[in-house]
Amino acid sequence: MPTQRLFERIDSIELQQVSKKYGSRYAVESLDLTIEGGELLILIGPSGSGKTTTLRMINRMIGPDTGSIRINGQDVMQLDPVRLRRNMGYVIQNIGLFPHMTIGENVGLVPKLEGWDEKRTNARVRHLLDFVSLPPERFIKRYPRQLSGGQQQRVGLARALVMDPPLLLMDEPFGALDPILRTQLQEEFLEIKKEIGRTIVFITHDIEEAFRLGDRIAIMDNARLVQVGAPEDLIFDPVNELVADIVDTKRKFKHMDTLNVKDLMTPLDAKYILNGGVDACDAVEIMKDREIEIGIVFEKGMLAGKVEMVNLLKCEDDRPFLRDIAKPMKVFALRDSVATALSEMKRSGEYVAMVMDGDTVGGMLVSDEVLLKLI
Amino acid sequence: MAATEMILNATWEHIVLVYTTLLASILVAVPLAFASLYSQRLASVVMSFANLVQAVPSFAVIAIVVPFLGIGFVPALIAIMLRALLPIIRNTYIGLTNVDPAQIDYANGIGLSEWQIQRYIRFPNAYPAMFAGIKFSAILANSIAVLTAFIGSGGLGEIIFQGLIGYNTEKLLLGAIPAIVLALLIDLSFTLLEKKLTPGYIKQ
Amino acid sequence: MIENFHEIMALWDKHLLTMRTIEHLEMFSIALTISVIIGVSVGVIIYIRPGIASPVLNFLNILETIPDLALLVILLPLLRLGTGPTIAASVIYSILPIARNTYTGLKGVDSKYIYVAEAIGLSPRDILLKVRIPMSLPLIAGGIRIALVFTMGVVTLGGLVAAGGLGTVLQNGIQLYEKDAILLAGLWTGILAVILDLGAGRIEKKLYKRYGTWQPQK
Ligand SMILES: Nc1ncnc2c1ncn2[C@@H]1O[C@H](COP(=O)(O)OP(=O)(O)OP(=O)(O)O)[C@@H](O)[C@H]1O
Ligand SMILES: [Mg+2]
Repeated sequence: MPTQRLFERIDSIELQQVSKKYGSRYAVESLDLTIEGGELLILIGPSGSGKTTTLRMINRMIGPDTGSIRINGQDVMQLDPVRLRRNMGYVIQNIGLFPHMTIGENVGLVPKLEGWDEKRTNARVRHLLDFVSLPPERFIKRYPRQLSGGQQQRVGLARALVMDPPLLLMDEPFGALDPILRTQLQEEFLEIKKEIGRTIVFITHDIEEAFRLGDRIAIMDNARLVQVGAPEDLIFDPVNELVADIVDTKRKFKHMDTLNVKDLMTPLDAKYILNGGVDACDAVEIMKDREIEIGIVFEKGMLAGKVEMVNLLKCEDDRPFLRDIAKPMKVFALRDSVATALSEMKRSGEYVAMVMDGDTVGGMLVSDEVLLKLI
Repeated sequence: MAATEMILNATWEHIVLVYTTLLASILVAVPLAFASLYSQRLASVVMSFANLVQAVPSFAVIAIVVPFLGIGFVPALIAIMLRALLPIIRNTYIGLTNVDPAQIDYANGIGLSEWQIQRYIRFPNAYPAMFAGIKFSAILANSIAVLTAFIGSGGLGEIIFQGLIGYNTEKLLLGAIPAIVLALLIDLSFTLLEKKLTPGYIKQ
Repeated sequence: MIENFHEIMALWDKHLLTMRTIEHLEMFSIALTISVIIGVSVGVIIYIRPGIASPVLNFLNILETIPDLALLVILLPLLRLGTGPTIAASVIYSILPIARNTYTGLKGVDSKYIYVAEAIGLSPRDILLKVRIPMSLPLIAGGIRIALVFTMGVVTLGGLVAAGGLGTVLQNGIQLYEKDAILLAGLWTGILAVILDLGAGRIEKKLYKRYGTWQPQK
């Protein structure tokens, strides 16, 4: 009997005042956390800080003592655990592939239990193995023990994706891999993440991994949530020593004061440049073609400002020209300090700024990329 | 020839007794092993009973059954079962509990129901040990079934006991040799079956 | 059935259970002693000559499948009725567990102890006698414990071929359908076997504590 879909997409997962005690010790204490639909939220923190416990309360493998966990407003404790879990993908360290089943059987187990016919299951399994770069002809009949650690990890991911779940729970999925393989899988996972566009809760011990993959990072310590925010929030505004320690603010940014915008800017890619004389509707088409979300508008060789795709979509009424609707953007000089530039950008909530070399364009300053270059 | 017919009849009776007992033992032992998973108390009672009875001589087991159940096919069946059950229960239980707990946990995590975990995870893992237990019990049952002729179960043992009464060497051998051949055949057939049924993940 | 202690004692005496128990234990001790001597020797020999280990163990394994009563009976033409075939059959069954465990134990001694022994200049003979055998004792004891159970089983059958022992009481009881006697002798035989097995289990455990470095190798 197929399990009914509980949710097609995740709007939010709200943990409110969630606590879990083992004996007299809290594993998780008064946790408040909202996970937004579509984001990849990282849980990071010292061993024993309650990450796994938090994750496993989301799929009801552990019931909270107090507090509530709501997915799209529905309390998970009101839902049938088996059904709830069938609606999520779950990946753990050391994979947990079943040794007595072939790769194909491992990935196809839940579809089979869901009553899919063999043909459909098989097609889905093959598709997913392809997706995680394991040629199905070669791998589908093998047993887990005949695969390398990295290959097994890929199978684990394929298995979690098999029912196309809107939510993925991942507990140190790359934890057992050696650093090179790990980086490679992270790269691949970033690609996959773009394609699948679903909500992901991801535990790691590795802050680099957290920065590379996470939209937001939640730091746990001693059963409590210490801070949650985008990577730059944690780097620039760590709430305490522990957070600073984890994100390693000091080591990474001790040179910040000596660095100039010039050192960390990116060259302006021609694809971002739009002409001020283009109307908004045409601009939308151009931006779709160029796969950009933001455009830099120039009018007669002079910077006019920036436009964002989201603001252009309602262009039909009056088809304005870009030069009239471009928003002013921050401009820095080559010799400005990066620290100052970043904090100005953060204050006004902008993530790109122009860098000018006198009258000519020097490049762009993209806050995310600056961080990635620093770490 | 009368002797051939006698042997064939006795062999048939013997086979029926052995396989009936074996089947009954499997039907009792396997569910009991599964049930033991859910009750630590049941598990420890069953396992310590299993270990104790293992040490009791078959002849004594047969004797103890008589005052309660009398003689004949059914008491013989019960007596054999008392011994044949144990290897199956023990091996099945050990097989079921030897599954890596992380696997069970993971199966829970992807939303397998309790029954599906038994069916798709525990059982396939326990199966090789369980089969070994059944093979052992089959040979044990064949051996004790010779002895139960003494309490009227019929079978090849009956010819042996007739031979013992008058010390008739020929009769002794006519009973004993088919019983030995049967034992070897059971062993062989189970070995072949075992090879054939070995799951792929162990073979490869 | 049996009502009180006095009746039990009367029954005990009537069926000569003290004498039968002594007979029983006598056969049992002789059989087990022979089994240990042969079993350990076979184990050591196949350890020294690994080429024959697998055929020897396979052959012993086949002997193990033979129904005990059938084995006892085909020995009769050779050894006549009585204790002879009973002891012989017990030994035939008991060689395998002892030989197999001895062999596994000798082979499985951790190589680091052997290096140490070689380093301090022990001869191969000394290594076998002073290192491998002592360190295998727990496993050998385990084999002997299995043999003990087999031996108890076969010795009890001895009653059917006029070897005496507790089997004689069981046989007479069943033939005359004396329920009380059957129950008493049956229980007593069972208890005796269980006590001996438990005792052997304790010895095995002690040896594991004393020489517990042996690790099963897969
Ligand atoms: N079943 C349990 N029984 C008792 N204590 C437990 C249990 N599970 C977890 N704990 C305790 O709860 C605390 C939080 O455990 P949890 O597994 O959530 O930590 P974690 O942050 O995932 O750690 P790690 O990074 O080592 O995986 C720890 O102190 C742990 O010992
Ligand atoms: Mg954890």
